[in-house]
Amino acid sequence: MVFPAKYPQLNETELTEEARSVLIRVIRVAFPHPNFPDAPYERTADTILAEAANSTWFRVAITQGLLTLAHLAGGDFRELNDDDATKVLRRIESTEFFGFVRRTTVLNLYDNEDVWEALGYEGPSFDKGGYINRGFDDLTWLPDARIEEPEGLEPLVEIATDVPLSNVRAAAPTSRQRDTSNQPGQRDAEMAEVKK
Amino acid sequence: MNAIDLNDDAIVIIGSGAGGGTLAYELTKRGIPVVVLEAGGYLRNEDYVNDEWEAFNQMAWLDPRTTSGSWRIARDFPNLPAWIVKAVGGTTTHWSGATPRFKAHEFAARSTYGRVDGANLLDWPITLAEMEPYYDQAEIAMGSTHTHGRKPLPANNNYTVFANGAERVGYTHYSTGPYATNAEEYDGRPASIQDGFNFQGDKNRSKWSTLVREIPRAEATGLLDLRPDSHVVQITHDANGRADAVLYLDAEGNLHRQAASLVSVAANSIETPRLLLQSASPMFPDGLANSSGQVGRNYMRHTTGSVYARFDQPVNMYRGETMAGVIADESKHDPDRGFAGGYYLETISLGPAFLASFVEPGAWGRDFTEILDAYRNTAGLWIVGEDMPQESNRITLNTSVTDKNGLPVPNVHFDDHRNDVAMRDHGYTQAELLYDAVGSVGSHRTPPYPSTHNLGTSRMSEKPQDGVVDRWGRTHDVPNLFISDGSQFTTGAAANPTLTIVALAIRQAEYIADELKTGGI
Repeated sequence: MVFPAKYPQLNETELTEEARSVLIRVIRVAFPHPNFPDAPYERTADTILAEAANSTWFRVAITQGLLTLAHLAGGDFRELNDDDATKVLRRIESTEFFGFVRRTTVLNLYDNEDVWEALGYEGPSFDKGGYINRGFDDLTWLPDARIEEPEGLEPLVEIATDVPLSNVRAAAPTSRQRDTSNQPGQRDAEMAEVKK
Repeated sequence: MNAIDLNDDAIVIIGSGAGGGTLAYELTKRGIPVVVLEAGGYLRNEDYVNDEWEAFNQMAWLDPRTTSGSWRIARDFPNLPAWIVKAVGGTTTHWSGATPRFKAHEFAARSTYGRVDGANLLDWPITLAEMEPYYDQAEIAMGSTHTHGRKPLPANNNYTVFANGAERVGYTHYSTGPYATNAEEYDGRPASIQDGFNFQGDKNRSKWSTLVREIPRAEATGLLDLRPDSHVVQITHDANGRADAVLYLDAEGNLHRQAASLVSVAANSIETPRLLLQSASPMFPDGLANSSGQVGRNYMRHTTGSVYARFDQPVNMYRGETMAGVIADESKHDPDRGFAGGYYLETISLGPAFLASFVEPGAWGRDFTEILDAYRNTAGLWIVGEDMPQESNRITLNTSVTDKNGLPVPNVHFDDHRNDVAMRDHGYTQAELLYDAVGSVGSHRTPPYPSTHNLGTSRMSEKPQDGVVDRWGRTHDVPNLFISDGSQFTTGAAANPTLTIVALAIRQAEYIADELKTGGI
């Protein structure tokens, strides 16, 4: 790995254990899941650091981002409570640093079994025979729904009947009348007997 | 396999998806040998993986593309305008399976909708009545449920929420299809095991694709010369303006020339116009078959959007066939809703990995994570409706960005039409009402994904000045050049396009075979 070593303080922040733990806190605050253990956040931080190690641009962005966080936090970002930490992140959300962290987190945090389990997703299913015998239709809090259109169902009126059509071809398919909210059809226009 | 010599004047089909794969089978079935050039590799069902990102990286067309325009894709996924497949079978290996037909008036959009400001509407030169026999053939080939005696698929959990909601808001035209995946064994392929990985290729072979049906059957005739990893860079022509060869790169980047007596382009609506534009010559300075100037224009992607709704009880939407749920009530044309054309509502589901990436690109914080925390209790649906063709929505060559072969990449420019926005908003509202009716405790309006329905960039027209191909998909300018994919679509209709692409290809094959016999080509 090549460091931009002209400024020693860059080397200090780079990939240190402290940088890693600030990054984990950033991801936790930006993507808060009360049910997630620490491991997915740690794994994601490591992915971000590994990508940064391969790209000078991201490495510079991370270094600058972490410094900015310290400035905005007035000290150690990790010591802010959730609300204050979120406010700090809102102020930097358009930065290269935050964009990089957000994109990488979205792509990686949720692409792992540890998180799927916490969210209730069962992952690959073909080798288990799919869900045909494992609950694809086990929902019980609503009644069963029909799966076919019932016999005798009126066919769909494909064109509302009050639409002026520019030629015969388009008008061909349907002759049924239909009411719409602002253009009552024929039967509404019929006069009813008036009684006093 | 029947190896066709590079110097033999062959019938060359570019692409092996819904259009190209079908055309290849329909021609070989009639004893006509063809070469199929497929840009992607030959993935088999057993190669597919039940993992969203791994499968995406295995199957998707990932060659660089650029975007412009006001659509959100240009901001969120600037290099991924479309979510389509680069492999044998094309995007039929990724599609989910919904197969509604076009309605009669959708072949006559200009006559029915009238003049719509900013839209480049045109009637198709063909009618539903002409298409009906080919729709029948396509449905039988694809095994569409609810048609020709094919059993409907059972209700999965996502459908049960969707259908109960539909019933409660007064919709009546809802069911689990039509859907081209086997509910029972059919055509030598097994019934669905409801594994939920429709978008990832379907390892079980229950879903129709040209990979499981048309390609192997064409191979069995002994008349198909299928060349995977063959990326076409140009179609050349002779002094009379007839296509005479196709230049393509193999996997190692070596250039080959296949002589051709007839060329069919079925490379999906971004690559098809790209190839025609790359084939510009002194005789065709604006691109091959582009005397109308319509090549690459009128790019349509359907008006789409999703709604993911949360409940206080489990749904497990990912279990089972992804899109086996269709509501047709809104597919009518009723301008009182504030827009022309119609849309379908269809069930959809994403796993957590894709949901995180696509539910609200760019979002973070608690508003975002509560969508994922509710994953187990979430139901989802997709809005898919007709979008307006606009001349300015177009594919062009971006000469400042090149791919690994040094070719200019396609740029996809798209702005929503006012009609598209009004339709999408209506769909969002109806979807929320539907889920409210079954007790949703929250929902999210998800913007369109990178486009899977790419249409219209070499459209069909009666008159040569209005479009690129005639009623048979034959280009107005080059008599032995055909377009065989969704690029031909004059307008997009509300229906998912695959069935219509297949029906058009069956019809086109019949025409080509006749013309070959009678010397018309």
